[in-house]
Amino acid sequence: MTKTIAIIIIFLIAIALGILVGPTRLDSEILQLRLSRVVLGIFAGGILAFCGCLLQGLFGNPLVEPYTLGSASGAALGASLGIFLFGAISPILAFLGSLGVGFFVYTIARIEGGLLRDRLILAGVVMSFLCSSLVMIIMVLGGRELYEILYLLMGYLGIIINATNRVMIIALIAISIGLVAFLYRYHRELDIISQGTETAAGLGIDIQKFSLVVFFSSALLVGLTVSIVGAIGFVGLIIPHVSKLLFGPKHIRNLGASFLLGATFLLFADTLSRVITVYELPVGVVTSLVGVPFFIYLYKR
Amino acid sequence: MNALEARSIQFYYDKTQIIDNISMSLSRGEFLGIIGPNGAGKSTMLRLLCGILRPKQGEIQLFGKNLHEQSQRTIAQNIAFVPQETHFALNFSVEDVVLMGRYPYKRPFQPEDQKDHTAVEHAMNAANVEQFRNRPINSLSSGERQRVVIARALAQAPRILLLDEPTSHLDLHHQHTIMELLERLNNEGISIAVVHHDLNLASLYCKNLILIHAGKIYAEGKPAGLLNKKMVREVYGIEVTIVSHPEKNVPQIFL
Repeated sequence: MTKTIAIIIIFLIAIALGILVGPTRLDSEILQLRLSRVVLGIFAGGILAFCGCLLQGLFGNPLVEPYTLGSASGAALGASLGIFLFGAISPILAFLGSLGVGFFVYTIARIEGGLLRDRLILAGVVMSFLCSSLVMIIMVLGGRELYEILYLLMGYLGIIINATNRVMIIALIAISIGLVAFLYRYHRELDIISQGTETAAGLGIDIQKFSLVVFFSSALLVGLTVSIVGAIGFVGLIIPHVSKLLFGPKHIRNLGASFLLGATFLLFADTLSRVITVYELPVGVVTSLVGVPFFIYLYKR
Repeated sequence: MNALEARSIQFYYDKTQIIDNISMSLSRGEFLGIIGPNGAGKSTMLRLLCGILRPKQGEIQLFGKNLHEQSQRTIAQNIAFVPQETHFALNFSVEDVVLMGRYPYKRPFQPEDQKDHTAVEHAMNAANVEQFRNRPINSLSSGERQRVVIARALAQAPRILLLDEPTSHLDLHHQHTIMELLERLNNEGISIAVVHHDLNLASLYCKNLILIHAGKIYAEGKPAGLLNKKMVREVYGIEVTIVSHPEKNVPQIFL
């Protein structure tokens, strides 16, 4: 209980810092910009960590996250293509990239009656490399859009929300929150499947259906997130571990705690990204810079 | 009506035939041992009986109704399956593990109620794991963990218990406690089928045996009639000595 209160307080501090800290004085225009960043930070950090928690549970592997399964890279490829072709981030292409790579990885790993979990990660990593190569080609061809794609690959919360994209972004966030609420219903299945697929099947879980729903819902969520803020790494990998260290193995607590901790972490990282150097850094750079030592500390403790 | 009945079951992976036209039944109150050499198909048969695998041909009936026309939840309310060894990737408490046996009775978001907790207490009591209740599962020995898995199976309130070599990695003491536990559960009315490769344990505890060899039923019947030198020579390809257990009067095999 005290831990829950503590992480909520830290979350609120992260929001406050996200609004108050920055190189310029706070006026109404700056306030609006920072508020939109805070909203996007909560959304993206929460979703990525939530998906990491889902996928690590589903595949019983602590290394799984939207990146290692290829769906984040697929989404980045789709989004880069959108920038190259239309000069703007295109959510549809980002989903298609994410779902396409997800489908491919799933097909490679599928065998009769189940999924080969090792092959799944191998396929995911290989597909990530392929997507990265294709993005490089787009960047070389793009020239003018290079800078924009670079920020997309690293993740950036400072996109300007204006009259043309406001409705779309609000709709995407609403869909994501709906999906998160829907996926929460699987907390028991995630607990059980950590003991192996046979145990899960013996307890009455339809493994095939469950894996499909969770895998592709998270691919969709990642596609949605990347299409708005770009591909932010590390949140989906480390936050579920932090959550398990704090709250134990049960997913009924971990899914929610991962969302909250992911949001908090990304808000801190974004605030840092605005003050570390004279220029704003892509937030993904900061999540790795802060995340790696933190991760090592947690495991060496 | 039998608890489980399999009729003309065929099962194969790609082109490798695993189960070749097996018909068998598990009657109510039975304590059945499924024995046979490695790779004979006995573990596959067990997975077919509880619906984890689906036969390519043939039908399985659960209390007279086609198994595959029932939902996986309904099956899990009737049949509990205990795998050979469970790897716990997450370190749940023993009580949490046993509580997972209530899954087939729960809807999404429905919290555990008094009925669930009563079932869990009863299961932990029967499997004698109450004292470990708050211990992390991975801090237990493999014999104790196996008892927790059986407790989880009992929390399902099953009418049928299917176990795949439940004693294979256990020392003499734990082999004994697990088999005694199964015998007690059987006396309380649960029908049990257990895959064994230890013929002597099977002979000591099972009422009837089915011997599977190369995907077919080689023999079935009481241990006293089934375990003989000729069978062991033909199925396992070795010469053995068989004597009668001095107290229980069932055959025991010596190399």
